Amino acid sequence: MILEPTNAIGIAKLGAGLGAGLATIGAGMGIGRIGGSSAEGIARQPEAAGEIRGASIIFAALIEGVALFAIVISLLIIVLEGK
Amino acid sequence: MSQLRLLLIALCILVPAWMGNHFVVHHEAKPGDPFMPLFMHLMAAPLVSNPETAHAEGPKYLFELDVPGPAAFDADPLKAGTQLVATNLQLFQIAAVLLLFVCFSGVPGHLHNGKGDYVSRLFAGFALWLRDDVVYPAMGKEVGRKFLPYFLALFFFIVFMNLLGLVPGASTATASVFVTAGLALVTLILMVFGGMIAQGPAHYWKTLVPHVPVLIWPIMFAVEFVGIFVKPFALMIRLFANMTGGHMVVLSFMGLIFLLAGMAGHSAAYIASPVLVGFAVFIMIIEAFVALLQAYVFTMLSVMFIQASIHPEH
Repeated sequence: MILEPTNAIGIAKLGAGLGAGLATIGAGMGIGRIGGSSAEGIARQPEAAGEIRGASIIFAALIEGVALFAIVISLLIIVLEGK
Repeated sequence: MSQLRLLLIALCILVPAWMGNHFVVHHEAKPGDPFMPLFMHLMAAPLVSNPETAHAEGPKYLFELDVPGPAAFDADPLKAGTQLVATNLQLFQIAAVLLLFVCFSGVPGHLHNGKGDYVSRLFAGFALWLRDDVVYPAMGKEVGRKFLPYFLALFFFIVFMNLLGLVPGASTATASVFVTAGLALVTLILMVFGGMIAQGPAHYWKTLVPHVPVLIWPIMFAVEFVGIFVKPFALMIRLFANMTGGHMVVLSFMGLIFLLAGMAGHSAAYIASPVLVGFAVFIMIIEAFVALLQAYVFTMLSVMFIQASIHPEH
């Protein structure tokens, strides 16, 4: 039943949605940890605020890149469904 | 001088925005599916000289270049072989380059004698920030001086393309994966060949892998070799997905209004539209920040990757 073409498209959409959601969970956990740690670091050492902010933006961008890979794959599933 | 510069900046923004709307075939709205015609605005659209009659008699392209060789990119369906066709993205790339020239024409004078209008002062400050806070701390003064022109051009080119995409009627050149792939390719070439020139070809490939036991050296070499290509690929996907994603959210909010009009009647859509347009404006404000942030991230990561490949850590 799963392998029928109409169901396969529905399952592809389900997978794309699940993929987007799971990627968001991972990126949220990662960026949340960075945000928490950098806020803590700035609170402990306010004179290093500029460096900590710059570094945390870079790390957030690296994590975000992995999440965006997942989003692009989800997008590909939606675009290429049924082909 | 100040008025002339502002006039030229306004022309660089408005002329491509007008051309990008006027010479492009617009998609017809389909009843029942408001999202797809809106999302088609994210695709590159070729510039045609007959936008009204293109559906009936076939498009006449404004700029078309026949390339000899096998049919790799068949842009013009009426002709065989390979053609290069100008799209609306090229308009905004050209506009970004022109904006670079206009905005930075007064900067050297301002840095020499301290005089200049506020456009020059703004961009001189930006350029000094990029030099002193991004390039020099990571690369050092000597190497940084050599690479600084590239990073300045890269940062402001991406910034102008991202910000031009926020102008109503404009399209974002960086929301196309091919444009960001071109930018990432330059970083890849600078990484590999910059590293080979700085260290010598043999030394570069030898120090690609840090000191590890001989048994796992082949595995490490394979991982590092793939890593060379994964880094620019991540740059490419990051910029492309950030720009596309922001526009998609805005267009989705706009599409929700039309979806509501089809499902619950026009009065419901009128009531809901201020809320949805408000959300879209909120996302646009975030996008204006993201446009600057992603240009910074692209430049900063390029600096780090190139620095890591010309000076390996042992």
